[in-house]
Amino acid sequence: MAFLKFSTLCIIIALMVSLILFSAFIALLVMITPTDFIRSLETKEMQYSLRLTITTSLTATFLAIIIGIPVAYALARKEFPGKNLVKTILDLPMAMPEIVLGITLLLLFGHTPLAQLLSMIGIKIVFSPLGIVVAQFFSALPYTLRILSSSYETINPRYELVSRSLGYGELETFVRITLPLSKAGLIASTAVAFARSVGAFGAVLILAGGIYMVTETLPITLYLNISYGNLSMAVSAGILLIIASFITIFIIEKMGGGKLWR
Amino acid sequence: MEMIRLENLSVALGQFHLRNINLAVEKGEYVCIIGPTGAGKTVLIETIAGFHKPYKGRIILDGDDITSKPPEKRGISIVYQDYMLFPHMTVYENIAYGAKKKIRDKRILEEEIERIAHIMGISHLLNRKPETLSGGEQQRVAIARAIISKPKLLLMDEPFSALDTRTTEKLRDFVKRVATEYDLTIIHVTHDIVDVWSLADKVAIMNNGTIIQYGEVEEVFSKPADDFVAEFIDINILEGEITEVLGEMVLVKVGDTILRVKTNTTTGHRIRIFIRPEDIYISNTPPDYGPGCFRAVVEKILENGPYVQLFLSRNNIVLKAVLTRGYVRCLGLARGKHVYVYIRPENVRVAET
Ligand SMILES: Nc1ncnc2c1ncn2[C@@H]1O[C@H](COP(=O)(O)OP(=O)(O)O)[C@@H](O)[C@H]1O
Ligand SMILES: [Mg+2]
Repeated sequence: MAFLKFSTLCIIIALMVSLILFSAFIALLVMITPTDFIRSLETKEMQYSLRLTITTSLTATFLAIIIGIPVAYALARKEFPGKNLVKTILDLPMAMPEIVLGITLLLLFGHTPLAQLLSMIGIKIVFSPLGIVVAQFFSALPYTLRILSSSYETINPRYELVSRSLGYGELETFVRITLPLSKAGLIASTAVAFARSVGAFGAVLILAGGIYMVTETLPITLYLNISYGNLSMAVSAGILLIIASFITIFIIEKMGGGKLWR
Repeated sequence: MEMIRLENLSVALGQFHLRNINLAVEKGEYVCIIGPTGAGKTVLIETIAGFHKPYKGRIILDGDDITSKPPEKRGISIVYQDYMLFPHMTVYENIAYGAKKKIRDKRILEEEIERIAHIMGISHLLNRKPETLSGGEQQRVAIARAIISKPKLLLMDEPFSALDTRTTEKLRDFVKRVATEYDLTIIHVTHDIVDVWSLADKVAIMNNGTIIQYGEVEEVFSKPADDFVAEFIDINILEGEITEVLGEMVLVKVGDTILRVKTNTTTGHRIRIFIRPEDIYISNTPPDYGPGCFRAVVEKILENGPYVQLFLSRNNIVLKAVLTRGYVRCLGLARGKHVYVYIRPENVRVAET
């Protein structure tokens, strides 16, 4: 009965899966020469795409954090009617295909009174760079909320109660106690929001249109160039996206690895 | 002068109800609240601090109705069992956090921190992070942070429960000293009867969301309001009949045992009497005291650290007594041994029912 020990089997599977995935990364890296990569980076299209990706992602991340903080705090600490419904709705974009998120946003900002109201005050979201930000924001928000609210949940509410009893109001207590104690969660959620924004594709494509050198972010660059058969540009965009992911994972590991306050 | 008064305070939290709490504490008084786990002690003091909303009743602090004031407007500080020192601040910053809202002047702030740190014996710890301190040190810092702004009321929720006996004894001394120095009014939740004996002026016994008895420590401990309180504070309850009046003394017949009791109840009615376990004297030879002295059998011996709990029986009566370990050895006590029991008349309390 000399079967493979279960734990050994688990380790072997883990090694194999990561080997396959790692080979895929390597395949991408060796697909083009460093010269091709540099040349791709120097094209107008790539520079535009890179710059647009960074600005839209930073904006979307900023919004996701600024809006995510109070929402996550309410979800973690307060009881209010309809809380579970709100939680489910806010989680939905995480489970739903990005492309469906895109179509719902397209309808909301293209065919409703809200769309008319926005266009009256001169705000154009559909097929515009602003649409990229909106799509990235909604792709990132559920992740931001998850990380932030679980980091608030791990803070003993009695820290806040003690602060209140010492004369500090709710907001001041939040700023001086809760925020510093949830620093790790805040950094991790910022990193994840940025990664989600940079990588957002389906929703961005549908809402902002994927227009060459207008609403073209890195995933769109990859997609457009693959369809033209321009492999070197597509692979370069892919490499940039992988670099962004690695940085994110690194930051999250660093922050999540036991540094969260009790 | 009255510092805080609770009037018919009632709070609902999920399934749990705090019902009609009435409690008045004088300025400078030290009150202990004691009761079993789940009695609602924490809910009660967190309601006083303003963390739970009562649906009925009022909280009057220093003449002001603060029932609907937020916690930060009350001037009530709280100390928890697990210290709750802010981990991202040093000891100094933690204490300063407690004072900043009251003391704006930087120099006065420094002086006040120095003063309280000196009293609490934590001057050498000011630059440390809380996580590097022992439990006892952390709790001293937490107390310093709570009282530096001279709150009208200090609440403590089982402040010594996470500490060992030695540390607890030391902390009691610190608390006693600081209570006088800062003229504090204190409500201290505990499950340790020693806290009540050594610190409190008054004690409230809580069970099932209500205060069953509240009064001077001596009073409550010698005349429990009901069996729950008696059981909880570990006192002997007997029922008997007054058979004879001898001046200011009466003879009470409990079963076939006669006890001498000092009371002015003169009727021939049945009465309930209470005897504290530590007020029961035991010897191997009959002391020449006459009635009030009787023979009993040692039923059970429970070793409890330095003290020993003795269960003595005589016919239908069982009495709990507490002796030191050394005294038990000296008397050579063992299960089944016959001893003489004596109870001083003035140590027998009477409930007039
Ligand atoms: N926020 C809450 N929601 C619902 N029930 C609570 C809450 N806080 C405490 N309780 C319940 O109230 C009862 C009293 O709790 P507590 O005051 O902590 O007791 P203790 O006397 O041990 O301090 C317990 O049964 C507890 O489960
Ligand atoms: Mg409690």
